[in-house]
Amino acid sequence: MVDAPRAALAGWLQSWRRVLHFAGYALAAAASRASYTPATRAVTVKQVYFTAWQVLPLFLLFSALLEATVIRVVIAASREYGIADYALDLVLRGLVLELIPFLTALFVALRSGSAIATEVALMHISGELEALERAGDDPLALEFVPRVAAAALSVVTLTVLSGALAIVIAYLSTYGLSPWGFAEFTHVVGKVFGVPTLLGFALKCLLFGAAVAVVPIAAGLEATAKVKSAPVAVLGGMVRLFFVLGLIEVVSLAARYI
Amino acid sequence: MAEREPGVTPLPRDLGFRVGMLLAFTIAVAVAFVVYVLYARGGFEATQRLTLIADNAEGVSVGMDLTFSGFPVGTVRRIALAEDGKARIEIDVPRRDAKWLRRSSVFTLERGLVGGARIRAYSGDLQDAPLEDDAVRQVLRGDTSEEIPRLVATMRTILENIEQLTGTGGGVQTNLANLRVLTERMAGKQGVLGGVLGSEDNAKKVLASIDRANALLASLGAVSAKLDAVVAKTDQRVFGQGGVVDETQRAAAQANAILGDVRESLKKVDAILADAQAASGNVKAASTDLAALRAEVEASLRKVSGLIDEINRKWPFERNTEIRLP
Repeated sequence: MVDAPRAALAGWLQSWRRVLHFAGYALAAAASRASYTPATRAVTVKQVYFTAWQVLPLFLLFSALLEATVIRVVIAASREYGIADYALDLVLRGLVLELIPFLTALFVALRSGSAIATEVALMHISGELEALERAGDDPLALEFVPRVAAAALSVVTLTVLSGALAIVIAYLSTYGLSPWGFAEFTHVVGKVFGVPTLLGFALKCLLFGAAVAVVPIAAGLEATAKVKSAPVAVLGGMVRLFFVLGLIEVVSLAARYI
Repeated sequence: MAEREPGVTPLPRDLGFRVGMLLAFTIAVAVAFVVYVLYARGGFEATQRLTLIADNAEGVSVGMDLTFSGFPVGTVRRIALAEDGKARIEIDVPRRDAKWLRRSSVFTLERGLVGGARIRAYSGDLQDAPLEDDAVRQVLRGDTSEEIPRLVATMRTILENIEQLTGTGGGVQTNLANLRVLTERMAGKQGVLGGVLGSEDNAKKVLASIDRANALLASLGAVSAKLDAVVAKTDQRVFGQGGVVDETQRAAAQANAILGDVRESLKKVDAILADAQAASGNVKAASTDLAALRAEVEASLRKVSGLIDEINRKWPFERNTEIRLP
């Protein structure tokens, strides 16, 4: 009775330790020059292709719809409450700085994070990892670290493009096609995006991107040789990934506003 | 793994090119945005510094605008507490907007109900000399949230007064009732007079009085016209050529001359009498009689002299105090 929760706690701690361990390893690999080989570059390019390029049209369409709706709602609501002056401010802060990066990270996590976790778990089960190790290659450096880099790049790319789209839509929703709103718009943009804000935004995007790959890979590595361990490992990894993304968002909000 | 994935999704040949293009485009967008933000924050613009001194910088935040006529012309860069305990709000004003700020400009810090504080500039005279760089100005503070409790307290007193006035039996109701009676009377036969005097009888009396007064005034007018004629005639008779005054003046002058003669005569008599007294000092009885006679004459002389003085004083046409002897 007492052992079961204790074992669960131990397993939970073990999982998180594995996540942190792999994160540290990936960070060290990204900083070391030896990681940048043609082989790792090929893996990175392929992963970026799958994570960002393939989904780009659909993702941008989804973003545009969501952004247009949210911007309309914010502008209409702020007009109703008599704070129309702050509508653009709210859109830039709420949508561009917070909602878009978070949604992008969740999207990439759903689409690629789960795939990566499953793939790693399957490689573990099929003994492919062991085969690589026996051949003298480090699977972490060769296969996984490039994926982390690619996931980070993809999340940053999708966030930047979606954010730029949101800014354009915000201008069009507020001023239409008239060029006379540009000075005011520029003023609000200058007020919202300070240098610390931009740096924090970039850091947040990178952390989101890294988490989207690191947490699923660490989860995939938890799978044993049994086929049935794969779904459990993937499930645990996705839940952990959700919490990590939420934690990053909360910490970034706290750093900005508290 | 590389062998397994093509089975699911075929990899294009120009994979590297596409990914490179995507990354390059993203970097271009990001760089363009950073440049735009730097431009928006005035990174490519020369600014001048303006420092506002406030008793209380509550509600002021870095990045806040200084507005002029509703347009932002400056940005709060730093807020610090000075040695004297006052807040220093340092504001960067772009050179191209600095023309709106003059030496005589006034700066206010207001806190509204919604949103943060607002710093506003007012330039009464745009021909005044421009505000110098590193200028230090006092800021006037207006605080809505501080004013509201006071306002509410005052409003409550006012409302209570109004309630007392408008309540049952209150002043306003009584006044309105009186006003209604008044207007009813005014609407009556005697109109406004009836309203003012309280009843129709009084109004009738007043109207009769006015009629009588009118008649009286008419007859008075006739009387005064007659009186005017009389006065004119009198005037002519009294003050005209050969009038009463003229004659009187002449008579008085003659009387004056006569009286002067009399006085001289009496003086002579007085001298004779004095001589006579001296000459007949030994004649006791006679001298006594003479003394009495002399006293009488002297009294007469004094009376005449007084009479002459009196006539001269009272008669204003001729002021000859000196009497000429003929």
